Amino acid sequence: MRKRIIIRTALVAALILIGIFLYAIGKEHKVVIDNRDISVGDIIYSASTTYVVWVDNQEIGVIKKGERNAAIAIGISHKIVVEEIKSNVLTGEKHEKRFRLKTNESATINIPAMINNANEWIDKTNDN
Amino acid sequence: MRKQSLTKTMNPGVLFLINYAVPIIFIILIAFAIPLSGLSGIYFIRELMIRLSRNSFLILALLIPVMAGMGMNFSIVLGAMAGEIGLIFITDWQIIGISGMLLAILISTPIAVLLGYFAGIVLNRAKGREMVTGFMLAFFMNGIYQLFVLFGMGNIIPISNSSILLPRGYGIRNTINLLGIRQVLDKLIPLKIGDILIPVATFLVIATLCVFITWFRKTKLGQDMRTVGQDNEVARLSGINVESTRVLSIVISTVLACYGQILFLQNIGTMNTYQSHEQVGVFAIAALLVGGASVTKANIPNVFIGVILFHTMFVVAPRTGKALMGQAQLGEYFRVFVSYGVIAFSLALYAWRKRVEKENERKKIMNYRKSILAK
Repeated sequence: MRKRIIIRTALVAALILIGIFLYAIGKEHKVVIDNRDISVGDIIYSASTTYVVWVDNQEIGVIKKGERNAAIAIGISHKIVVEEIKSNVLTGEKHEKRFRLKTNESATINIPAMINNANEWIDKTNDN
Repeated sequence: MRKQSLTKTMNPGVLFLINYAVPIIFIILIAFAIPLSGLSGIYFIRELMIRLSRNSFLILALLIPVMAGMGMNFSIVLGAMAGEIGLIFITDWQIIGISGMLLAILISTPIAVLLGYFAGIVLNRAKGREMVTGFMLAFFMNGIYQLFVLFGMGNIIPISNSSILLPRGYGIRNTINLLGIRQVLDKLIPLKIGDILIPVATFLVIATLCVFITWFRKTKLGQDMRTVGQDNEVARLSGINVESTRVLSIVISTVLACYGQILFLQNIGTMNTYQSHEQVGVFAIAALLVGGASVTKANIPNVFIGVILFHTMFVVAPRTGKALMGQAQLGEYFRVFVSYGVIAFSLALYAWRKRVEKENERKKIMNYRKSILAK
């Protein structure tokens, strides 16, 4: 009887943990990608050119200077890759960053800050 | 003149016609309707593939109560409602993909178990009238579901996603977009043959359920259910807890119906919050009966034959109505009329056969007594 209660409690606990895991890996987050000038303290990172953006290996599209686009990222760990376009040709110069989002977070990524390795390249906001 | 029971006739052809009257009528109807509809073969096969993957799981959920002698389980609607509640939650939390679908299954399972237990208790108090009780129970629970979803959600149960709430701030909208989980299972293992997309993963899930049902019949619990289905008193005398076995059959059926509804809605991609579950019971049971099942006997081939025949009617009826009468809507009415008509016809046929068999048994006993007395 006691063994049965322990096994059933363990099964329920396992199901709850699986539920939490599914929630975490399936949660969608809005990621806004900015290709605009940004000032961080005294430093200004200027948007100079057009980029092609991939988030989690999904192509988001071309973001011209001064524009922004949005992507949906699913789960906890994510990767953003931007590649420069000059004169409508991919230069091959890629920049990659990895980031993590909690279940209730969304993010705004600034490309000029990102390619200059500024700490403030990503701004996470709480959805609640 | 000596009356000859049709069910005891020695002519196997007539016996076959009586036993499979419903599928035969459907085959004849479809044989006339398909050429009139003017649909191409590829379109027809594609539609059939979609409908097989979408509906088979729900209809397979009906087999276990039939095995336990509960007849056609109209209360699978309760399982469908549980599935929809799970989908509302994952849409609110914005969980998408296969994780979203699995989380919906996880959330709705305890709800389906509770609802199935409740249905089982009620049906146990209505022995011999399970089908009509299940039918009424579905209507009753629909009211509870609407109270829960229309007033409870957003009020007592917090809903953070305003896109699924009514403008007044509480209550779920009539239609919920399930884009996040649309066809996630169907496209999990994609296989395309020409223009026809075959949802391999969905068919694998359906096949797993078929294997489960076949295995289940051979287990002790499955055998207990079959014994209960054949004769409650014999089962009781054998030491089987009849009430508990019957409740368990309804719980299993309700949980499977919950999963079936989630599979159904992930294929469609949109959920009609207050109506998606309404016709689930009637259409599933009609399809099973069209496949040659009866109130006391149903097996896996009945499910697939039923889906093919019944849903072929769904596909061709509007076009055939338009070709015959100039109005596609007539085809729709015909389809609904046929769904209810099939159930009524099958139940009437079953009742007639039961009465005739009872009469024959009574005559046999009378003749036996006479022969004993004569000696």
